[in-house]
Amino acid sequence: MKIHSGLPVHLFRLAALGCGFLTIAVFMMMLYLGWPLLTSGQFFVLLSQNWLPEQNIYGIYPMLTGSIAIAILSLCLSLPISLGTAFVAATLAPPKFRKLVMIMVRFMAGIPTVIYGFVAVFLLVPFMREQLAGGSGLNILTASLVLALLIAPTMIVFFVNGLGNVDKSYCLAVDAMGGRPIQKLLYLQLPQAWPTIIAGIIMGFGRAMGDTLISLMLAGNSIAVPHSVVDSGRTLTAHIALVIAADFASMEFKSIFACGLVLYGFSVIVVILLRYVTTVLLRPQS
Amino acid sequence: MLVRNIVQRGLCIPLINTILGETMLKLSKIFTAGMLCLLMTTIAYSNDLDAFVGQKGILKIAGGTAHIPVMKAAAELIMTSNPDIRITIAGGGTGVGIKQVGEGLVEIGNAGRKATDEEIATYNLSMVKWAIDGVGAVVNPKNSVTALTASQLQDIFAGKIVNWKEVGGEDREINIYDRDSASGTREVFWKKALNSGDVAKKANVVVSNGAMKTAIAGDPYSIGYVSVGHIDATVSPVALDGVVPNLENTKSGSYGVARGLYSLTKGEPAGLAQSFLDFLLSPTGQQIAKDKGFVGVK
Amino acid sequence: MRRIIEKTVFGVSWVSVFLLVTALFFMLAYLMHRGSGVLGKGLIFGNVSPIDALLLKRQVFNGLFPAVMGTFALVLLAVAFAVPVGLAAGIYMAEYCHGWIRQVLTVLFDILAGLPSIVVGLAGFSFTIILHRAFPGRLGPCLLISSLAIGFLILPYLIRSTQMALESVSLSLRLTAPALGATRLQNIRYVLLPTRLPDILSGVILAIGRAAEDTAVIMLTGVVASAGLPRSIFEQFEALPFYIYYISSQYTNPEELQMGFGAAILLLTVCAVLFLSAFLIEQAISWRLRRY
Repeated sequence: MKIHSGLPVHLFRLAALGCGFLTIAVFMMMLYLGWPLLTSGQFFVLLSQNWLPEQNIYGIYPMLTGSIAIAILSLCLSLPISLGTAFVAATLAPPKFRKLVMIMVRFMAGIPTVIYGFVAVFLLVPFMREQLAGGSGLNILTASLVLALLIAPTMIVFFVNGLGNVDKSYCLAVDAMGGRPIQKLLYLQLPQAWPTIIAGIIMGFGRAMGDTLISLMLAGNSIAVPHSVVDSGRTLTAHIALVIAADFASMEFKSIFACGLVLYGFSVIVVILLRYVTTVLLRPQS
Repeated sequence: MLVRNIVQRGLCIPLINTILGETMLKLSKIFTAGMLCLLMTTIAYSNDLDAFVGQKGILKIAGGTAHIPVMKAAAELIMTSNPDIRITIAGGGTGVGIKQVGEGLVEIGNAGRKATDEEIATYNLSMVKWAIDGVGAVVNPKNSVTALTASQLQDIFAGKIVNWKEVGGEDREINIYDRDSASGTREVFWKKALNSGDVAKKANVVVSNGAMKTAIAGDPYSIGYVSVGHIDATVSPVALDGVVPNLENTKSGSYGVARGLYSLTKGEPAGLAQSFLDFLLSPTGQQIAKDKGFVGVK
Repeated sequence: MRRIIEKTVFGVSWVSVFLLVTALFFMLAYLMHRGSGVLGKGLIFGNVSPIDALLLKRQVFNGLFPAVMGTFALVLLAVAFAVPVGLAAGIYMAEYCHGWIRQVLTVLFDILAGLPSIVVGLAGFSFTIILHRAFPGRLGPCLLISSLAIGFLILPYLIRSTQMALESVSLSLRLTAPALGATRLQNIRYVLLPTRLPDILSGVILAIGRAAEDTAVIMLTGVVASAGLPRSIFEQFEALPFYIYYISSQYTNPEELQMGFGAAILLLTVCAVLFLSAFLIEQAISWRLRRY
């Protein structure tokens, strides 16, 4: 019996360790292919330089600022809406309606990114060009608006979970004292759930930084450092998609591994922050 | 659909008019004419497509995006006549074409410029030029500006002229569209039209000739540049120093921002790749190139 | 003062729900408005009869058939690679893994779940380059590489849903079989997995949705705009999401654009059906739980 049960367990372990190893291997692979950049100490130079291929300067500073600008702006646009929707879905609405809102939110999470981008190209971009921002309509604001819609479901699910995790007895106490739902929300659930809300924000920020298609389709992809929200800009992710076409041996091509490493490092930071928030801040209160 | 177009416009009519002119007149029934027409094209095609008979396998093509319409049309004809052959076509730009064919990732790499001696030597490439193509500045058809001097064009792309009213248009900011640096179209336009001058960093970047055309067609205040073969009613060409970038002016040489369209193979072409390149240079292949707005080489 | 804050929060919350619903409604309505005209068998099969296309008698050039089949093949392969591995790893994490290894693996899987898909695509592409250098001339970006990369992308979802499903089995149920002398493996095989199968299934379905919609990964690993039907895993292929992206930036005429809208509706429908089945399975579970 023992002999028979040994093999599957080994296979299970192999699968789990293999997946873990692959995660590290991805990092190693990019490190290996981007190595020539790192050894010459150019990695940090690249992070601060402009992108001027004609002068053999392959800095990714404009993309770094583009990525961060788009991620922050979309977060700012998305946060109030997500919080509001989460409030409604967690407490404010009657139970039947809450469920309906959650179904909608989860359906939105399942809509392919490319469809958000596709519709925005034909609906939002002309509107932006003619009515709002002028220019070509392809700018950081356009991309951020769509991205805000894209990351909202992720954040809402987090928020609703956090708000719903408050001890039942407290909720019943508020109800018994005649508290209205909005009071329960503001004075009981929100103070209790804030670490989860922070976790949701980090998660949303991570998704916004990691998205490729929306910025590739809507942000304009210019190589200038953006100075206003209606400037055209390029993100790290879009840069990878655009430059993947370049000559393998060129510095241009190697610079995309610098982008890859930055994005990888960024997801590691997100995970660490999330773990910090959920384990340290969310310790059960006695 | 496409096959039918070529049949009707490209081959059938010249055939009817010249070779069969007299015979055709005698055949009064339209139905019979149609049948014969179909028969004749089959014969004409089978001549140029003969090389593919009995071949099978896959042919991968990548690179220059100006080439794509011709590649697609040729591939469709070949794959229809011989279902054992599969041809995949990817874009990416000239840089990709040269690199991928050099690395052996694809059998044919397309380039919108001559491969440099260094590239040819490193990868042992051989090059076939099958069409000549101009690269012209284009604006949206709604734009009243249809002619610019070379220095105006350079100033617009350098970001020195930022409003259409400075060159006689509407009071709107100019939106510049550029290509990535791996593009052969960009290289030719940059060298020959912009005189290797600066290009504003705030220019939007698109990935192919097709994407450039779509972007310009959708943005009334834009300027960009595409292969002359891609210019159609959705975009309006801008005359450069009085010469309109079109097929005739490219052919006659009066429009100078022109280049060859090349297809490269690693070493001497062989097998399917050879048949494909021969087909591009055959009367049918050249006719496709002409139909798609390029100047043939034969 | 408090009343004002309460009122504002209340108002803003409902407004945001309204905004979200409006945005969703506009998006779907616009898609249907622009795309509903092309829906039909011509959208998929062009001017080739469906039977001929399905029997591979004739190739479809002006329909979505190659892209649909490409996506289908991609998802099938990716799921075939990822599901066994993901389930095995999930079982290991839930049942066997303890101590520091568990900590390390959890962090790694979290990182994996958070990796931008373009980074996974870049990894797939790098892998291709390395393979290509090792075995010159044979392997380039292709369906195999794409499906491996997509499989890798959906792994963390599979691992997490399996792990969570198994860990949520109640203690009494978990201990019953071992108390009767079953081995740990028998317990997993005959008790834990069967009771939690629906959860695991809904995790798999959501992972399929993820695999079908992702564009960034395949863009770097072998999808092309024109390839015909996928016939070998070593060839490049077409896929629906990439087709939609491609059309959005370079449609050449109104018909092609219409096809793009048609493709978007098609992809959305696929994802909606997947979502709905996952949702129904979940409903069935919660209904059954309530009955106990």
